[in-house]
Amino acid sequence: MSIPKPGEKIIKGLTGSEGIAIGPVLVVDEKQKKIQPRKIKADAIYIHLQRFAKAKTSFLKELDELTSNLDKKTAEILETQKHIISDREIEQKINSVIEVELYDVEYAIYGTFNEFIERLRESGSELFQQRIVDLENLRDRLILLACDNDKELEIEKGTILVLQDISPTDLVAYHDKGIKGLVMDKGGVTSHAAIIAQSLNIPCIVSTKVGVKHASNSKKAVLDASSGELILNPSRAVLTEFKKKIRELNKAQKAFIKAGDRSETRDGFPFHLRANIEFQQELILANEFKAEGIGLLRTEALLFGGMSRKSEIEQDKYYESILSGISGPVTIRLFDVGGDKLHSQTPDENNPFLGWRGVRMLLDEKAMLISQFRSILKCAGKYPGRIRILVPMVALVEEVVQIRKVMEEVQKSLMDADVRIDESIPLGIMVEVPSVALLADKFAKEVDFFSIGTNDLTQYALAVDRGNERICSLYQQHHPSVWQLIKTTVKAANDNAVPVSVCGELAGDKLGALCLLGMGVNDLSMSPASIPKVKEALTSSSMLDLREFSDKVLECSTTEEVQALLSN
Amino acid sequence: MLYSGMIKKKVTILNSSGLHARPSAALVKLAGQFKSDFYIHMYGYRVNGKSILGVMTLAAEQGAELVFEVNGSDEKEALNAILELVENKFGMEDE
Repeated sequence: MSIPKPGEKIIKGLTGSEGIAIGPVLVVDEKQKKIQPRKIKADAIYIHLQRFAKAKTSFLKELDELTSNLDKKTAEILETQKHIISDREIEQKINSVIEVELYDVEYAIYGTFNEFIERLRESGSELFQQRIVDLENLRDRLILLACDNDKELEIEKGTILVLQDISPTDLVAYHDKGIKGLVMDKGGVTSHAAIIAQSLNIPCIVSTKVGVKHASNSKKAVLDASSGELILNPSRAVLTEFKKKIRELNKAQKAFIKAGDRSETRDGFPFHLRANIEFQQELILANEFKAEGIGLLRTEALLFGGMSRKSEIEQDKYYESILSGISGPVTIRLFDVGGDKLHSQTPDENNPFLGWRGVRMLLDEKAMLISQFRSILKCAGKYPGRIRILVPMVALVEEVVQIRKVMEEVQKSLMDADVRIDESIPLGIMVEVPSVALLADKFAKEVDFFSIGTNDLTQYALAVDRGNERICSLYQQHHPSVWQLIKTTVKAANDNAVPVSVCGELAGDKLGALCLLGMGVNDLSMSPASIPKVKEALTSSSMLDLREFSDKVLECSTTEEVQALLSN
Repeated sequence: MLYSGMIKKKVTILNSSGLHARPSAALVKLAGQFKSDFYIHMYGYRVNGKSILGVMTLAAEQGAELVFEVNGSDEKEALNAILELVENKFGMEDE
């Protein structure tokens, strides 16, 4: 690295997704978005009134689209939201703030709702606290709809985006607009956004803490994600240095794509590398790196914006787009909402990761589960033998039995209606709760396959929340306890002739993949961007060495010991 | 037309979830069917009983004492209907 010139500033973070980017900087500061009382001129009154009316209509339309086919309780909640939005008094107040007090529509909505929200807050009533969150959500959605058009900012191609945090949906939207780098002040290397950034091949660093603060004054930057640095106002020398690095990287990637057809170890043991994806856009990279299908299709994006599911037709389209976009098997995970993945609408829980999520939620929300099964099963009828269904967050054998029962009922009703289905579609479970690993021998008799989700398995085995910055160093994917749980699962799978694969980040990590193959797991699914480096590591190893290596790993008592083994 | 002025009536909320979202919605919907103005007084606040946000943000829990104020040509029928709804715990107690 050259010596920093005056004006040049380096912000340090952790690598979320490797790569290098050079480009203009765009800082999106949530704090600046705070609504300020802004006056308007009299001739703008009409426009602002119109914007509120339009926002109201669009919001009502959104809610209408959600209301069909919901269970009674959810439908009633949405009905109440509709009441609130159509409230005459609110409308009059908002209109009068615009017309009489001459404030813009954003502030009119904000201020009017806040009056009511404040009153609730003052009441101190425990029972009504949740309503505050609901009203704030309503308020923010209305504001967003009212100013939708002027928020559509133009983004320069190749922009490096700097912000506190970003939702996966927003990240995909920015990707479509052409951003080339991402810097997040918050979040860890396994945060949802970092994982998506990897598979969209966007270089990304996280935990920069002061990125937003310092980057707002710079026009241009170099993002060297592989070494975890954002260089603001880079000197000419730095720019030249990194331009050269980018050219070299591109060359190496192209060389890999040409050479990367062989999927077996040096001594001829075959393995399969598949991709973990959530969005259709991620297929591009998965195909480029020759993923053998999708080992984990996360479906939660279908649910964004609340617990109400999108219409079945939209689900059908989504599955169809994935199946037609790549060859090979596709493992579809049922909605795994809860934890950090659902933003609004679900009631707060003290321990969301130990709470109502995955299969627990699915079994309670039957209508949603049935519609997802219907959509997947219909798609499987069109692509027989290619789809597998994966159940998240299973902890008990009974849950598998119940889920299978629902699936069989849906299969029967589809067959009765003469819809073509794949009758032998495999139903498997995520192994992410330690109870499943420990009882894998029993579970093996109820399922068609296992998929080990090492991210959550690590969290639950070590009792550490990976999103908690204070303890995230305790989140150790290579910890011997995690390996023991994997070993138990693999043994039970082999004893019962049940296929087992790994779809956590451990599979996309060099050390992890080597050891997994040594233990006999030859079906690995990872973020598409990780496929080249894993393939390179596995093809250049011999199974004999890997077995020996994994045996040694199982003898370790600390993560440090495990990692020391690799450096030898 | 003969106006009797205005009626005020003290009521206590009986259902366990108080004037929560859905009970509020039911109340507002019913009140909206009458011509009379309908206001609710509680802790010195006076809110429009035909506005769901107004009613909901009173945060009236079980046992809360409110005063209903009805004023208009059909105020008697309105008040009776509203009182019946409150006494029936908004038809949603068994959840």
